[in-house]
Amino acid sequence: MLEIKNLSAKVVDSNINILNKLSLNIKEGEVHAIMGPNGTGKSTLSKVIMGHYSYEVTSGDILLDKESIKSLDTSERAKKGLFLCMQDPTVIEGVSNSEFIRTALNERSLEKVNLYTFIKEIEKSMEEVSLDNSMLHRSLNSGFSGGEKKKNEILQLKCLKPKYIILDEIDSGLDVDSLKVVCKNINNYLKDNKEASVLIITHYPRILEYIKPDYVHILSEGTIKDTGDMSLAKKIEKDGYGGYNE
Amino acid sequence: MSKEIYVIDDNESKEYKYNIEEDTIIYHFSINSSSNVEINLDKEDINLYYYYNNINYDDNSFNIKVNHNKDNTHSEVYNHGVNVSNNYLTYDVEGIVLKTSDKCICNQDNQIINIKNGKSTIKPNLLIDNYDVDSNHAAYIGKFKDEYLFYLMSRGISKKNAYLLLLKGFLINSDSIDLNKIDKFVKEMNKI
Repeated sequence: MLEIKNLSAKVVDSNINILNKLSLNIKEGEVHAIMGPNGTGKSTLSKVIMGHYSYEVTSGDILLDKESIKSLDTSERAKKGLFLCMQDPTVIEGVSNSEFIRTALNERSLEKVNLYTFIKEIEKSMEEVSLDNSMLHRSLNSGFSGGEKKKNEILQLKCLKPKYIILDEIDSGLDVDSLKVVCKNINNYLKDNKEASVLIITHYPRILEYIKPDYVHILSEGTIKDTGDMSLAKKIEKDGYGGYNE
Repeated sequence: MSKEIYVIDDNESKEYKYNIEEDTIIYHFSINSSSNVEINLDKEDINLYYYYNNINYDDNSFNIKVNHNKDNTHSEVYNHGVNVSNNYLTYDVEGIVLKTSDKCICNQDNQIINIKNGKSTIKPNLLIDNYDVDSNHAAYIGKFKDEYLFYLMSRGISKKNAYLLLLKGFLINSDSIDLNKIDKFVKEMNKI
């Protein structure tokens, strides 16, 4: 279970909390969605969970399977099963996609990943996310379109098999066809990995038509103001966030 | 098919002069060394790719001058250095296109990563005496960006291995480099 307990966090070297006593429990197999207008702390929440260098937790705690991860660095959190699909994946020239994924896999297993097995498995996964095989040998996210970057995030997810998945605006920059491919792969992953849970961060309910959430939360002013089911997302689509801005 | 030249300097000071008359790729690897390089592009329609990759510990400099002596000559110079200690590292990079050399392409990309608080300097110079030239230069001195480390670490790669990946990508910056020919440099890189 991913437990966020009364979490407050600020940008390093500032005095203003962006997250204010936010609490959220995500049990195994559950899909949660966090919605909210711009600047309410949605992406901050995802980065704070992942231990981003720009943010500092001022109070509260984050627990994975009842164990605090607050003192762990980003790499250790990822090894515990956390995975953040980023809104704008970083471009790194010179580091090839294949070397990156293989290094990540090697760090998770006791034995070095066999190159032949790795290539075979990743080529299958690339086909499933509709990415051309040549992208495996290109620099990480370099020259990738917005859609290809998001598919590359899903490729990494499929390879690394995390237990807790955070999708930070995975739908931004995706056309309808690419969104369907991305969501189909996430749904298949959840079907194959029943214990995996997902936190979807989004502005719009569209993605929730493809990945059905068990709970929808409204984030405003750094804390959760309302919780409901899919009907809450539909209400937001109809009425907007106006009622939550006070 | 381009001619390939491998050069490795190891704790020495050297001078190189190349008069080039065919498409050429030069891979120049330098371990704690200074060097002066002069290249003359002496035949029309030829391409030069120069990859200079440097690991530095003491006070050193790298000076390279590319002379476009003929029409339609093309140079791409990539200088990547890692300044490991608190020392001086200077790159002086000149691309020269003569008035009589038309339709040349003269580009240079210079980057130095300071691991500690090294005093690094890049002097990118393009001396162009012709109106029909395509020419660019770039220079960066600093650390590896925090966002690079965060992205790599967010997939479970330790900070140490994330650094190694970045170093390798930075210092071995062409897929066509034959690692067997630069074994000494790779070993030095793994020590950083």
